[in-house]
Amino acid sequence: MFKNQLKIAWRSIKKQPFLNALNTFGLAIGIAGTLIICLFIYDELSYDQMFLDSERIHRINVDAKFGGPGREMSQVSAPMAGAILNDIPQVEEVIRFRPWGTTSLNKIDSRELVLEDNATWVDTNVVSMFGLKMLYGDPLKALEQPNSMILTKSAVEKHFEPSSAIGRELIVNEGQTFTITGVIEDLPQNSFLAEYSVFMSLMGFQDAFQNEWGNHNYNTFIKLKHNADAADIAAPLQGMMERYLIPYAQQFFPGITLKEFEAAGNYVNYSSMKLTDLHLHSHRAEDMGRNGDINNIYILSFIALFLILLASINFMNLSTAYSLKRAKEIGIRKTLGSNKKGIIRQFLMESGLITFGSLIIGLAMAWIALPFFNDLAEKAISIPYSSPVFWLVLFAAAILLALCSGSYPAFFMSKFRPARVLKGSGETSLGGAKLRSGLVIFQFAISVFLIIGTLVVGEQLQFIQNKDLGYSKDQVLLINNLNRLNNQAGSFKEEVKQLSQVADATLSEFVPTPSSRTDSSFFLEGKTDQESAVNMQGWRVDYDYMNTLDLKLVSGRDFDPSIATDSTAMIINESATKVLGLSPEEVLGKRVANGLGEDALSYYTVIGVVKNFHFESMRNVVRPLSLRISNSLGYMAVKLKSGNFEETVSKIQGIWDSRSPGLSFDYRFMDDSFNEVYENERRLGKIFIIFTSLSIFIACLGLFGLAAFNAHKRIKEIGVRKVLGASVGQITYRLSVDFLKLVGIAILIALPIGWFAMNRWLQDFTYRIEIGVGIFLASALLAILIAMLTVSYQSIKAAIVNPVKSLRTE
Amino acid sequence: MLLQLKNIFKWVNSGGQRIFLLKDINLNVHEGEFISVMGPSGSGKSTLLNVIGMLDAFDEGEYQFLDESVHDLREKNRANLYKEYIGFVFQSYHLLDDLTVKENLEMPLLYKKVKGPERKAMVADMLDRFNIVGKKDLFPAQLSGGQQQLVGIARALISSPKLILADEPTGNLNSKQGEEIMELFKQLNQEGVTIIQVTHSEKNAAYGSRTINLLDGRMV
Repeated sequence: MFKNQLKIAWRSIKKQPFLNALNTFGLAIGIAGTLIICLFIYDELSYDQMFLDSERIHRINVDAKFGGPGREMSQVSAPMAGAILNDIPQVEEVIRFRPWGTTSLNKIDSRELVLEDNATWVDTNVVSMFGLKMLYGDPLKALEQPNSMILTKSAVEKHFEPSSAIGRELIVNEGQTFTITGVIEDLPQNSFLAEYSVFMSLMGFQDAFQNEWGNHNYNTFIKLKHNADAADIAAPLQGMMERYLIPYAQQFFPGITLKEFEAAGNYVNYSSMKLTDLHLHSHRAEDMGRNGDINNIYILSFIALFLILLASINFMNLSTAYSLKRAKEIGIRKTLGSNKKGIIRQFLMESGLITFGSLIIGLAMAWIALPFFNDLAEKAISIPYSSPVFWLVLFAAAILLALCSGSYPAFFMSKFRPARVLKGSGETSLGGAKLRSGLVIFQFAISVFLIIGTLVVGEQLQFIQNKDLGYSKDQVLLINNLNRLNNQAGSFKEEVKQLSQVADATLSEFVPTPSSRTDSSFFLEGKTDQESAVNMQGWRVDYDYMNTLDLKLVSGRDFDPSIATDSTAMIINESATKVLGLSPEEVLGKRVANGLGEDALSYYTVIGVVKNFHFESMRNVVRPLSLRISNSLGYMAVKLKSGNFEETVSKIQGIWDSRSPGLSFDYRFMDDSFNEVYENERRLGKIFIIFTSLSIFIACLGLFGLAAFNAHKRIKEIGVRKVLGASVGQITYRLSVDFLKLVGIAILIALPIGWFAMNRWLQDFTYRIEIGVGIFLASALLAILIAMLTVSYQSIKAAIVNPVKSLRTE
Repeated sequence: MLLQLKNIFKWVNSGGQRIFLLKDINLNVHEGEFISVMGPSGSGKSTLLNVIGMLDAFDEGEYQFLDESVHDLREKNRANLYKEYIGFVFQSYHLLDDLTVKENLEMPLLYKKVKGPERKAMVADMLDRFNIVGKKDLFPAQLSGGQQQLVGIARALISSPKLILADEPTGNLNSKQGEEIMELFKQLNQEGVTIIQVTHSEKNAAYGSRTINLLDGRMV
């Protein structure tokens, strides 16, 4: 019986190649798209789950405001970890990381570069606490000694046999010598440690053992005891503030109490965040991993749902529409004694077959598309062929899909009454037309919504790209690791400046694109209360800084090497001026100190106010900032004149190589570095475009099929109209206009929803576009145009048919 | 002379063989004639009617309609020609199911871009003439076969054609309804409308002034 049904199902599928090809293709695309998105989401959700007791590990966060705007940090002070372990009984273990950025390891004798990668200082218990897999070395004691370090397998294996790596000594950053005391398995892609391959023992890092509560530099993790609840430690965690931070602050503000501190509008709030939540929920400065965004997960989940829904709707729509052609078959089956159940089973069998075929094609499509997607999303996702769970879920989903999309047509058709459908050539009035229209509206509403999303994301990115940043990032070369040149850096800069293609150059570890940042409190001279403190960036720059980056002055003047006192001069930005409560003119000549009264370390005279420039993402407001002259080695920014950049870069590299043979010349252009800040948005934008196109395509497939069916159904009417004098244009219009009405309704539904949703997305940006009429108009026009193109093919095809053919009376 | 067919051939190629649908048809039709075309099934009656109605092309020969050489005309001009001068009546009426009687009558006028008030007047006139004013808001499904064919003829007549082409207009009707329709044709013919009808029935053919017999695409 089953075999017979299968055979018949296959035959009837073959009988309508156009319909079933559309169905299969649409479903396959839907399945492929949804599959890729699901794999992506699964990967994003799996972050840091692999670590030992990951559900018990939490990170300590701090939100602090002390003069200037508040900051959300992922790092706390060095003594915090010890204090927590000591004071909070629910905590079993603590660990601190002190990320050290790109670090070079060289062999002692040959000075050959072994590795240049992200390194972090870490407490001794890193292997045991996170359950890292130690390949060689003692997991418990490896980091006990100062100047010991653990490397990942792939970090060492290029130069040594991993088993023989233990005990080898390497020079770190051209300075101290470290001994390799352990080799661990590479860290999984989906972990917060993925980007680190060098773990140096904090035992030799003096700063880690100072009782300094004022700096926040350590990513601190705690492991709770079994049965302990994160909520239980919230209060004692916040208690640290009064217990340690206030006494510390009293060194600077004698007698200050917690109340006074808070009364001035300041706060320090400690909290904990689950390790497994970090990847998607933490957007804090100095996060260790490259984090994703839970909002993207939501958006993508919706898109995945849309895709599969659209494909499924197509299936229902097309199947019911074409069922008219099969009404006779059903009538005959019924007169031959088949009951409703049998007919339903027959149609479900067909939809099952089609879904199965789509599944195979969809899997193949996903397999082909994944490398491209990985490239785009910077992921290493693969289809888990070997996982039985994957196949189980996939087949369960396919069966569900087949049932969902097949059941409506099946029940719909099983209701045909044989007497009516067998009466002859007369058209059976076909039910479900309203539902079909509703589904088309739904499909296009989703498509229009996605178009709006794509356009808004695109326009915002464009806006960011074109916004006046307050500095010039074009034609600026950023050379990294200037600190390696040490005292040669200055002469290197001078030599580069001599090049005819170079306009100017400046040395600093601080640039507007991602680089070093340092926050500290400054006080206006004569004001000793903590209220007039301004928390601002203190960037150390040289005399060419303003000119190279094309920063604009609002008042005052630039640093001048011929004025001796400029070594203690300061230029602040507009935001800082505002926090100080002075106008750009008033602030000139005022002195500020980083410290109070006798503790003041040094005084700086404000000589100028620089126009606010964006040194952080447009998500944030421009915070207070100060520039002062000081030796600071990190980057060299080189402003190039127009011309052959490649040639200039190679000339500069020549100068670099002549000074420091063996040191790699690491450079990039500033606008690339700028673009990276918005990489997440850019990726989102691209992903949006891809899946929007997919969903529109699927919706169009459905519309195409429906238009074909509609034209077929109205073939007699078209013939009559033509005989009575209708032109091809008029017929085409008649056939298309009904569909366009549906698309019009869809647009009306989608516009307000799109406006609402995308406005919410934009709220994340402090600097953002207004969603204008233009976007709505463009989305509507695009949808109409696409629908028109889709429908018109079938309409024109029907309209040019010779009426003699359609009006024959047989 | 209204129209003239000279040595008309029409064929299809099937399996390497040329099958003739019309073979060397020569026919002159004068204004005011009422011609009946007869012949067994497959003899080419409908094909001939379609060629005369310019709905179908022919492969060889010449066709003059009111001094226009139809065989030299472009598709669009041909359409304009039959829109202007020819009305069609079908065996299965071919009324549009979704339109009322009034709207069905109005349709050819819409395609001829007749202005609103004038259109209304013409429709009212036609409803009156065929005595179906009371049925103007009904849909075709609510009418009997005879009534539907009445509407079909009214629709064919509304743009005052010179020629009515009727393909078995009584084929789906009972004898009484059929007789009424034939009487109507006779009356129209007396008013000056040229009519060419295809029919199987000798009785209906007798209404005409002349009968053409076809066999295997050839006039006999």
